[in-house]
Amino acid sequence: MVVNVSNLSPRLRQLGLVAVLFGAIPAGLALMGGGYPFQVGITALIFVTLAVSLNLVTGTAGLLSLGHAGFFGVGAYAAALAATKLHWPFLLTLPLAGIVAAALGVIVALPTMRLISIYFAVATLGVGEMIHVSLLNWVSFTRGPMGIRSIPPIEILGLDLSGVIGGYYVAATVAALAIFAVHRLTHSYYGNALRSLREDDQCSAAMGLNPVRLKIEAFAVSCAIAGMAGAVYAHTASFISPDSFRFEESILILAMIVVGGLGSLPGAVIGAVLLIVLPEVLRGIGDFRMIAVGVFMFLSILFLPKGLLGEASAIGLARRQLGAAWRGDIGAGWK
Amino acid sequence: MPDIFDAYFAQQVINGISLGLVYALVAIGFTLIFGILNVVNFAHGEIYTVGAFAGLLLIVGAAPPLLAVVLLVMAVGAAAGVGLERLAFRPIRRFSDEASLKSRAMREATLLSSLAVSIVAREVMAHVFGGEMRIIPQAALLQDVITLGPLTLTNGNLIIFGASVVMLGGLQFMLYRTRVGLSIRAVSNNVLGARHVGIDTNRTIVATFAIGSSLGAAAGILVGLYDGNIYPYMGFAPGIKAFVAMVMGGLSSIPGAVICALLLGVSESVATDFLSSGWKDLIAYGLLVVTLIFFPQGLFGHGRERV
Repeated sequence: MVVNVSNLSPRLRQLGLVAVLFGAIPAGLALMGGGYPFQVGITALIFVTLAVSLNLVTGTAGLLSLGHAGFFGVGAYAAALAATKLHWPFLLTLPLAGIVAAALGVIVALPTMRLISIYFAVATLGVGEMIHVSLLNWVSFTRGPMGIRSIPPIEILGLDLSGVIGGYYVAATVAALAIFAVHRLTHSYYGNALRSLREDDQCSAAMGLNPVRLKIEAFAVSCAIAGMAGAVYAHTASFISPDSFRFEESILILAMIVVGGLGSLPGAVIGAVLLIVLPEVLRGIGDFRMIAVGVFMFLSILFLPKGLLGEASAIGLARRQLGAAWRGDIGAGWK
Repeated sequence: MPDIFDAYFAQQVINGISLGLVYALVAIGFTLIFGILNVVNFAHGEIYTVGAFAGLLLIVGAAPPLLAVVLLVMAVGAAAGVGLERLAFRPIRRFSDEASLKSRAMREATLLSSLAVSIVAREVMAHVFGGEMRIIPQAALLQDVITLGPLTLTNGNLIIFGASVVMLGGLQFMLYRTRVGLSIRAVSNNVLGARHVGIDTNRTIVATFAIGSSLGAAAGILVGLYDGNIYPYMGFAPGIKAFVAMVMGGLSSIPGAVICALLLGVSESVATDFLSSGWKDLIAYGLLVVTLIFFPQGLFGHGRERV
C-alpha cells in the first residue's frame, strides 16, 4: 500500500522528517561503513545550520552578507577557548558561542545597517576579513595559525557523545532546532515584515515598521545561530584554525542558499547538503571535484535562476504544511 | 637614529606606491565593469592570475623582451575578459527595460555566476600548473637592485611605476578621446539612453571587459616578476584589495579608485613600521569599514539613486 505523503497530518509529517533525520540517515551512514560517512554527515549538518541562518538575513531580509563565516569562526573560537581554558561543558559553551557571535553581530550591525545593497555587502566582507585577520594574528589569545588543539569532545550531563555518532546526533539536534526557529520566524507576521524590508525598506518604514531595528534583530539572530554552529564544529572536530573561517567559506554558504533558492528554507537545507555531499560523492574523480562543484553552481544559476526550490513554492509548501494555522481568510501566518 | 628611520620610511612609501599602483590597475577593471553593469565581477582576480601564468609560459617558452611580454599578456587578458563576459555575464543579462536593469535577483545571479566561473578557472589552473609556486627564470625577474643614496630600489619598482602611469594615462585618453571610450561612458551613464542613440551595448560591454581585463592581466605578470612567485591562488588578495579601493573611491569613479588604491598601498606598507606584517591586512578592511560608515558614498562618489 502506498502512503500518500500529502494526506498525512502536518504533525505526522514533521515527525516523519525528524525520524528521517535521527533514524534513517544515521542508519544509512552506518551501513555505508561508519566513521567517515558520519564525519561528512556532521559537516553537512553544520553547514545546513549555517545556510539556514544566512537564509534568514540574506534570503528573507534581503541583506547580502559576505562575512558569515566570520561569525561562525567567532562562535567556534568562543566555544573552544571556554572549553579548553575554563573547562566549560558543551551545554554552556553552546549558548556562550551564540551570545558572543550575536553580540558581535549587533556591534557590527549598529553602524552598518544604514548602508544599502552592495555597500552593506562590502561592509560585511570587510568585517568577515577583519575577524579572520584577528583570529590569525592575535596569537596570545587565539594561538594564531597553530589553531586550538584537543578541544574536549561533547559530553552532556554525564552522557558521553564523543564518537562520530554522538557528534552526529548533537549536530542534528542543533540543525533541527535552528531550522525550527527560522521556520517559525520566517513564516509569521515577523517574517512578512522582513520580506517587506527586502522588497522596499522605505515603503515598509512608511507602513510603520522600524527597518533598522528589524534588520539588526534579524542579523543578530542569524549570527547567534552561526555562532552555535561554530560551537558544534569546534567540539566535533576537536581542532580549529583560522583557515576554516575565510572568505571562501562565506561564499560557500552563500552559494548554498543561492543554489537552493534565496528565501526558501527547504532550499537552503537542500543546497547545503548538496554542496557538502557532492564533492564527497565525486571523490572518485579526484582533483576535478572542485571544478565539478563550480560547474554545478554555474549551471544551476543559469538554468534554475530561482534555485532548486524557489521561495514561492517553499512558502506554498509551508502554508499547506501549517494547515489550520494558515487557513484563516487573511492567510498571513502566526501572529 | 632619526636619519636611518627616515630613509626606511621613504623606502616603505616607495614600496607602498608600487603596491598601490598594482591595486589601482586591478581596481580599474573592477570599476569599469561595475560602472557599466552595476555588478561586481568576482572573476577579476582570476584574470590577474591568468595574466601571470600567460606571462610565465611566454618567458619560459620564448624569452621575449619585457615589453613584448607585457603586450602579449594584455592581449591574453583581453581575450580572457571577452570569454568571461560571454560565459558568465551575457547569458544572464537582460537589458530590455527599466525593471530588469534594477532587478536585485538579476544582479545577484550575475555576481554568483562570475563567482562560479572564478572557482572553475582557479581550480583548472591549480590542476594544470600544480598548486605550489612556480620558479621563474632568474633573468626575467624584476629584482635588480638600484641604490639611490640611502634608498634601495629594484628595477621592478621603476617598471611598475612607469607601466602603470602609461596604462592609466592611456586609459584616460581612451575614455575621453575615442569613440569606444565615449560609448563606454554613455553606457555606464544610462544603458537605455545609450541604446536609444544607437550604441551597440553588447559591443561596448565586451570592449569594457577587454580593457579592464587587459589591465588586470598586466598587473598580474608585473607583480609575478617583481615578487618572484606565481601561483594559482595569487589573484585573491589583490582582488579583494582592489575591490576595497573601488568601494572607497565611490564604486564608479576611476580617479577615486586610483587614489584610494595608492592610499591603501602606502598605508599598508608604512604600517609594517609599527605593526607585525600579519596585521597589515587589517588596515585595508578597517579603512573600508570606516569609509563606509562615515562616507557611505565612498570618498569620491556621487550620490546614487536608491534602487
